[in-house]
Amino acid sequence: MGYLLRQGAASQLLEKWKEEYDVYAPKVYPGTGCYSDTDVVRYGIIDSWDEIVWDKKSDYSFKEALLPISDTIMYFTENSTKIPDEGKSPLIFLRSCELHALKRLDEIYLHNGPEDYYYKRIRERAKFILMGCDQSFESCFCVSMGTNTCDQHDGYIHMEDDALYLELKDEELQVYLNDLETDQADREHQYVKENADKVQIPDSLPEDIATHEVWKEYAGRCIGCGRCNFVCPTCTCFSMQDIFYKDNENVGERRRVWASCQVDGYSDIAGGISFRKDQGERMRYKVLHKVHNYKNRFGHTMCVGCGRCENICPEYISYIACLDKLTRIGKEEA
Amino acid sequence: MDINTKKVKKNAYRVSKVRGITASRVRVPGGACNADVLMQVAEIAKEFGNGKVHLTTRQGFEIEGISYEDMDRVNEKLQPIIENLGINQEIPGAGYSASGTRNVSACIGNRVCPFGNYDTASFAKRIEEAIFPNDLHFKVALTGCANDCIKARMHDFGIIGMTVPQYDPSRCVACGACVKGCDKLSVNVLRLENYKVVRNEEKCVGCGVCVTKCPTRAFTRSDKKYYRLTIMGRTGKRNPRLGEDFMVWVDEDTIVKVILNTYKFVKEYIDPNAPGGKEHVGYIIDRVGFHEFKKWALDGVELLPETIVKDNVYWSGIHYR
Amino acid sequence: MTNEYMPFLSQIKEIIKHTDTEYTFCMTYKGEVKPGQFFEISIPKYGEAPISVSGIGEDHVDLTIRKVGKVTNEIFENQVGKSLFMRGPYGNGFLPEDYEGKELIVVAGGTGVSPVRGVIDYFGKHREDVKSLQVIVGFKSRKEILFKEDLKRWKDQMDLTVTVDASEEPGYKTGLVTKYIPDLVFENKKDAAIIVVGPPVMMKFAVAEFKKLDIEDENIWISQERKMCCGLGKCGHCRMGDTYICLDGPVFNYTEGKKLFD
Repeated sequence: MGYLLRQGAASQLLEKWKEEYDVYAPKVYPGTGCYSDTDVVRYGIIDSWDEIVWDKKSDYSFKEALLPISDTIMYFTENSTKIPDEGKSPLIFLRSCELHALKRLDEIYLHNGPEDYYYKRIRERAKFILMGCDQSFESCFCVSMGTNTCDQHDGYIHMEDDALYLELKDEELQVYLNDLETDQADREHQYVKENADKVQIPDSLPEDIATHEVWKEYAGRCIGCGRCNFVCPTCTCFSMQDIFYKDNENVGERRRVWASCQVDGYSDIAGGISFRKDQGERMRYKVLHKVHNYKNRFGHTMCVGCGRCENICPEYISYIACLDKLTRIGKEEA
Repeated sequence: MDINTKKVKKNAYRVSKVRGITASRVRVPGGACNADVLMQVAEIAKEFGNGKVHLTTRQGFEIEGISYEDMDRVNEKLQPIIENLGINQEIPGAGYSASGTRNVSACIGNRVCPFGNYDTASFAKRIEEAIFPNDLHFKVALTGCANDCIKARMHDFGIIGMTVPQYDPSRCVACGACVKGCDKLSVNVLRLENYKVVRNEEKCVGCGVCVTKCPTRAFTRSDKKYYRLTIMGRTGKRNPRLGEDFMVWVDEDTIVKVILNTYKFVKEYIDPNAPGGKEHVGYIIDRVGFHEFKKWALDGVELLPETIVKDNVYWSGIHYR
Repeated sequence: MTNEYMPFLSQIKEIIKHTDTEYTFCMTYKGEVKPGQFFEISIPKYGEAPISVSGIGEDHVDLTIRKVGKVTNEIFENQVGKSLFMRGPYGNGFLPEDYEGKELIVVAGGTGVSPVRGVIDYFGKHREDVKSLQVIVGFKSRKEILFKEDLKRWKDQMDLTVTVDASEEPGYKTGLVTKYIPDLVFENKKDAAIIVVGPPVMMKFAVAEFKKLDIEDENIWISQERKMCCGLGKCGHCRMGDTYICLDGPVFNYTEGKKLFD
């Protein structure tokens, strides 16, 4: 059971939420694409409902609302270390596949080794509102991955012609509906029932898959830009950076910054040793993690089938095509 | 056969080496046209010409092998092309007018090219509208980025697209793609300091390579589109040379005004005895001096605060005379 | 909620200078720690570096640091004699009980000696806990020899071979450590416990030598050094396949270790 909110009530609700939360949703950043006069859709803090982009897949995922690209974790002064204060709690509007990706972030940040202080403190306060998907976008394969529906949301929302349909499971969020003019309604959730792309995840792969020749072609094709990692809602790698401020060398900070296993330097260790110098090996490292290694460790596939890596690759390297090849290899083996 | 060659030329026909035969010159501003224009050109070539069409260096079609007596009929057939391309025309139905000012040519620009910093054809059309028809000998070319594929620097006015890279350090992962790109493809003015990128603003040519390389949208383009305006490049017998920077980080409006002002300057200073009434603007400036030109060029122009105007411009090139 | 990223301050008690670029820092530390584990050492504003434990005392740990980067340079140049920030220990480390009663062999190269120094020392002092103790340690050149004082002591406690890769040096064997593996003595190969630690290439060839001698995988242990950035299983840099070196390693029995692939 949910509510229909027409314009006045909808904007009142958002105004009230904005007081308490940073409201994140996919929105257009005009002219900020790689190429001139192109736009980017990514997650940012919204001011009005109109800003939310419904009819496109966001180029970048929701993850930056929880894990900022460059995140200061400590401030250093001469003889003290300070942890940054917490900001407002995030209220995030996101798609079903991304809610599944949230589970992957949780797995790493909360369950793989000790809990991550910074992730936990924002995660605990974050609210997630599922955006209905009334269409499947290019290269989406959520149905294949079983991520087209979900139940781990605090609320559900979709747009109708003259109103916004909202369900709130979370009690803290429900309170904000008090005193607003709403009509009770019961609508089916919008979700994708079929994608144009259907992907099979290989059940088993030969033991020597890491050295299989399937990876070789990527050595010459991939340019190692890391876009596939940066847009991926399930990639969580970061690097630590320490700096001192130019104007006062006694003061500085430690931060963690998104890292990509496709970019040079990712595996470099002391003494000039680095692993996976070849882009083909890096492709293998990434793809096997998404559909194989992670699953062995956590029992479920890492990839959620959002297809962003496929959409963003400037060299038109198709992750889906790669998975098809792996599936064929897996079947031949069997 | 009684032909007024002066009139023929001003109607964009060529006096060819074959007696009785001319060629029709079809300008395509910015080099951008739709396929209908190609079909229409083809029809004229088949019906009135010898079936051959030359693709000109300035992005036009020269329809070969037309008899002088067919000029009026060809002009009629040219009318839909002229309308299609939005060419300024003095008398409707009378074909292209003038041939002194050459077609404003352009690289493909950001319609297609990833490096292009603006829509070159649209800007070319804007200039076309402002300066045509005109008999004075001007060459203008527009290029999307500092690669200058159209060779804008060999023109009287060369317009090179620029962008001011906008850097958001909070989105930067220090992957170094921009630094590498700037080094390998451009002028190497980026470096990493404290894991963030520092740009040498003075040396940056605004090519936008850093923006195209950035995987996280830390580097983006400026809202405003900027240009480098180079002047008085040329080919020719006496002193072929590359155009030099006149204005950097200049805007579209200023460029149009400067070009229009230059027409006024030329009208004032052109040698009245020049053969065919044509004296190249570059040679006029050589005679009159850069500072006089600059005074005219900047008349009534309101510059952006960020625009750099060169105090002096020195050209080099090869001197044969 | 504890913040695992927050380092604690540790005093530098003593510095042993092995070479111009390799020092052992004796750091105050009370708490459980095993040889083969590592700490993230840091100087605020310069950064963190994973350093394996090269020695353990009641109120201290030894950390042998090679000057190879921004952080370690700063440690050598400006921090000598003061204190360092640390967090850890991380990783599984070597468990003495895995080797007790065995014919223990340790093969280590370069700074790879650090993580096993504690193991060698322990069994050097508790010889009765192992059937035999044979150690091969190798260095690139005479100048790069680490733990010279320990080597003197170990000579009397165990069957020790020290090699220098390229040049002939009095008192040292010449050549790579792998050259001396065939000379090792086994009473019963089923009772062997072999620890191999060093640069990736050295480990690969050393293990291959043991495989030639028909040593079973389960009798071999290795320690994998990878880019251990957070030490907490989060940053991802040290992952090899399904395995996080910082959580599941860096010490692996070769039955698991052989499956690791970069």
